[in-house]
Amino acid sequence: MSKVVIKANDISKVYTIGKSSGGNLRETISNNFNSLFNKRGNKSTQEFWALKNIDFEIKQGDALGIIGKNGAGKSTLLKILSRITKPTSGEISIDGRIASLLEVGTGFHPELTGRENILMNGSILGMKKSEIKRKFDEIVNFSGIERFIDTPVKRYSSGMYVRLAFSVAAHLEPEILILDEVLAVGDTIFQKKCIEKMTNVQKDGKTILFVSHNFSAVKSLCSRGILLEGGENIFDGNIADAINLFFASSSQLSGNTIDLSSLERKGFAHELLFEKISFRNYPIEFGKPIQFQVKLKSISGQKVFKDVDLGVAVLDRNDNTLIHCSNRFINKHFDHISDTDEYLFEIDNILKPNVYYLNLFLRTENTIQDWLRNVIMIEITDGNPYNYNDNNHIYGSILPHFNISRI
Amino acid sequence: MKYEIKAHGKSEMRLKELWQFRELLLMLALRDFKVRYAQTFLGILWAFLQPLVTLLIFILIFDKAIKVNTGSVPYPIFALAGMTVWNYFSYVVAQAGNSIIGAQSIITKIYFPRLIIPLSKALVGVIDFVITLFFLAGVLFYYKFAPSFTIFYLPLFLLLLLILSGSVGILFSALAIRFRDIQHTIPFIIQVGMYLSPIAYPASLVPEKYRLFYDLNPLTGIIEGFRWCITGTEGLPVKSIVFSVVITSFLCIISTYYFRKVEEVIADII
Repeated sequence: MSKVVIKANDISKVYTIGKSSGGNLRETISNNFNSLFNKRGNKSTQEFWALKNIDFEIKQGDALGIIGKNGAGKSTLLKILSRITKPTSGEISIDGRIASLLEVGTGFHPELTGRENILMNGSILGMKKSEIKRKFDEIVNFSGIERFIDTPVKRYSSGMYVRLAFSVAAHLEPEILILDEVLAVGDTIFQKKCIEKMTNVQKDGKTILFVSHNFSAVKSLCSRGILLEGGENIFDGNIADAINLFFASSSQLSGNTIDLSSLERKGFAHELLFEKISFRNYPIEFGKPIQFQVKLKSISGQKVFKDVDLGVAVLDRNDNTLIHCSNRFINKHFDHISDTDEYLFEIDNILKPNVYYLNLFLRTENTIQDWLRNVIMIEITDGNPYNYNDNNHIYGSILPHFNISRI
Repeated sequence: MKYEIKAHGKSEMRLKELWQFRELLLMLALRDFKVRYAQTFLGILWAFLQPLVTLLIFILIFDKAIKVNTGSVPYPIFALAGMTVWNYFSYVVAQAGNSIIGAQSIITKIYFPRLIIPLSKALVGVIDFVITLFFLAGVLFYYKFAPSFTIFYLPLFLLLLLILSGSVGILFSALAIRFRDIQHTIPFIIQVGMYLSPIAYPASLVPEKYRLFYDLNPLTGIIEGFRWCITGTEGLPVKSIVFSVVITSFLCIISTYYFRKVEEVIADII
């Protein structure tokens, strides 16, 4: 029976938006002056509940993933737990030394050297000077930038900067570790290295709270999940269930067959829409072609649309377009004659196993009819294309077939 | 380590917690010091150069042109003693006043007692202060001016100076969070303060009927007292010093109390 390390009781946080309480002197004076005469000052303020009545308990050794859409209250919750801001109501009792990493490299100064920044950043994160000194070599090794340790960090590349910053963070030894999306930075290899490190931390019986949009990272690190929506805790349980519920409840769609007709749309002609997308095999296995068909639906009553341009793009979560295909590129020209027609896409797939966005674009002649961005998610499932045992050290987003030989 | 996060806690001083974060205080001060002269050609020499140039200007205007009477004390010693105190005060107030706003990227990402930020500025100032003291010692030596026994009272005035500068710095840093206007008034206050303090001229030059107002400036007592410690001449300005102690204590209580109140909402309004 492990002890409860964090107990949150009915936490709420309200922000007033519009006129803020801080600001300028004149406003404050005039507001106070108005209230002196019982006049309501221009209160154009609105309340925004970032968190509403959140309750939960975390036991020692738990790894809790907090997921939810942007603006669901994840960051606010972490900020309250890390004591950066206070809740408007409710209370939390915490038993243990907390380290929170809401950002890597907090307090880094560009003019200072890597060595000085390690000391600086370490003490900001709550490490004792003796502790930093003891772990110094380990930190530098982990970052892999030994040669530049006495160079001011302003001369570092952004990759080096992040690696150094993360190395300090990775060597924290708190009892409770709070992580916010920090794994989103850095290159993939370094991310994996960090997840491994965090997994080890968790195996040592440390408690971890982790917020991320990177679901594969959340899944590999956490066993339990909390799903926030609109500031409320709508699910608390198994992480896989939480993620499934997230997809089911969010506007991000994934799955075998997705109905696209009821999505909200604006900005384009919308006489002809994407109605449905169905995948031949889902989730898509690494190396197997991405095959799906789309069905279109005419809204305006017009039956025939000439010269249809069907575009598809696959993007990673950082909005980098990895694949872009259209029938026009390969000199295929269609006229859309009947809504019963479907269009089949077959795309070679050498994408690394991960979650991607699939964007759909529809144009008839020169009119953009429909453009679905960042709503459909596809998952490429695990595979080990090269049968290489150190799979974590393969970088890059695409894994092509290749050969290297001595000649 | 157990603690509670409550929506409405009392604003306590939490001195124990402040002590736990002493290493961070030191690191922040050290960082500021290292960064300040980074990539400058003259480096630490600037810490000597600035008071030197100001001193030369003071000598030119107040000694040579206006011929201010400083009794048996050579004017450079007189002025430099005043400047040493003033430079520390103005540095801390200017730096600490803007410190919280300047540190917002850290403040919104990690917890530590926020009081550490303005305090670290007060600590950095000490380094410059010591450098100016060496400069003063050099000038004393040059004029073969031996300080009297009164120099043993110096620590009392240094303590008073530290508390006053820290308090005003803390107060302005907290005010600047709520009212950004403060940022613009600080340089103005410093400029006016320099003329309203007995730095380049003795307080005895101030007409008697204005003297009460003049003594309301807590620096008057500290500067005059500091100078008395070094030179040992004239009488100890008891009245000014009493004013200084009372006003400084008052500011110290007000500023820390106000800071603790603002601290709770810093991350939300910054």
